[in-house]
Amino acid sequence: MNDFRAFPGCRKATGGALLAAICSGAVSGPSLAEEVTFLGETVPDATIRQGEVLYGEYCADCHGVNREGAPNWRRRLESGRMPAPPQDGTGHSFTHSDPDLFAMTKLGIDAVVPGYESDMPAFDGVLTDSDIVAILGFVKKHWPEDKGAIQAGLPGMAAFR
Amino acid sequence: MSEYHSAPMSRRTFFGSAAGLWAAIHAPGLWAQPAGTAVTGLVFSGGDVLAFGNRSLRSSDRGATWTTHPVPDGQPAAVTSHPARPGRLFVSIEGGGVEVSEDFGQSWRRQGQGLPDRTLDALANSAKNPDTLYAAIGGDGLWRSEDAGETWEFVMDRPFLSGSEQDVRTLASVDLASGMGGIWLYAGTSAGLQRVPDCFCRWQDVQPQGALDALVEGEKAPTVMPLPEGEPVNALVSCAASPERLYAALPSGVWASADGGVIWSKAAPFVATALAVDPSDADTLVAATPADLFHSRDGGQSWVVSAIL
Repeated sequence: MNDFRAFPGCRKATGGALLAAICSGAVSGPSLAEEVTFLGETVPDATIRQGEVLYGEYCADCHGVNREGAPNWRRRLESGRMPAPPQDGTGHSFTHSDPDLFAMTKLGIDAVVPGYESDMPAFDGVLTDSDIVAILGFVKKHWPEDKGAIQAGLPGMAAFR
Repeated sequence: MSEYHSAPMSRRTFFGSAAGLWAAIHAPGLWAQPAGTAVTGLVFSGGDVLAFGNRSLRSSDRGATWTTHPVPDGQPAAVTSHPARPGRLFVSIEGGGVEVSEDFGQSWRRQGQGLPDRTLDALANSAKNPDTLYAAIGGDGLWRSEDAGETWEFVMDRPFLSGSEQDVRTLASVDLASGMGGIWLYAGTSAGLQRVPDCFCRWQDVQPQGALDALVEGEKAPTVMPLPEGEPVNALVSCAASPERLYAALPSGVWASADGGVIWSKAAPFVATALAVDPSDADTLVAATPADLFHSRDGGQSWVVSAIL
């Protein structure tokens, strides 16, 4: 009945673009988290810096250098899929738990939302699990504090509280 | 006074009430309501009920009797009210714009900065943050205001159903957890019911669990009894005090759900153009047909034609 589609046209689909649902975010702005955790583990600053580099290489083409998302990202493309959303807290990635963010990045959106058509590729085999955690740690680091609090309160985060 | 009762009832009761209902719909003069009232929007506000269409009406007895009321500037298309501020009404106007009243419609002022100059087909207040408003524009999508209607931004395209995007005809903010840190926005579309978490990540069918929970492979399929497939949903309301209680108006009749829209049953066979539910009592309903206003005090099991004084 439904036809879920998203994340069109990431240009570096084979080596880049990931994190349709994940990357982005401004470096400045509202107060940010002092400490970032992912899957219940603290993400060290060095890992976050590594994540920033990886984000620029694999995510920024679609999600924006400053994680601002694709232009006009709320409007469906001609393909019926949705453009890459922001990852700076103005999108909706903070409404996904850590396990879902990890799964979407590694295996594709379809792994979490079966049938959902997205231009975001699966990064399994392109990025290691550690790379993915680093990128997501970097992204979470730059969510506004209130958005991080929303994510921490999600049912899917209960195991990490 | 004419009444309509849904099952259970005897054949005699059924035919008697059906005749009354037919008369109510087809012989409006019997009920003292001028033809052409054409109510397109109903809303509770501060214990009163307001009706908007070719003319405006107000009821202070939960829809039993109505009196004529001042109209906004323009033909109303949709209406919503602020749940915490009695008398604050928002009415969209055919052709574009939103009129806002702070005094039950005695006076109006224009709002809507940022909106395109097009009719808002549906309006709803957020059940969680009443100063947040949602609007739907045909051929376009969903818009949101987070400052009580002053300024607006586009937030999402239309639902994709039956192979194409569908216009949203009615919106209801439903205070049930989406599983994604917020609540749901339900939409009655030209081809059925959809909902989206208020983070606006994706439209989806109504199913028992949260936005992602029901998608886990291997889980037993839940019991669902959706609205008739493919029918347009012309009106949709949720009771603030009992958000799992929903009512929907379709061409096949008025439908009710007691579980957030997973299982529906028909509450009345008439075709309503607008519905309203008392925010403090899910059993108290008001419905408009092309010719009449009805009210129910038992969750739609029986209906009485309202009087316009």
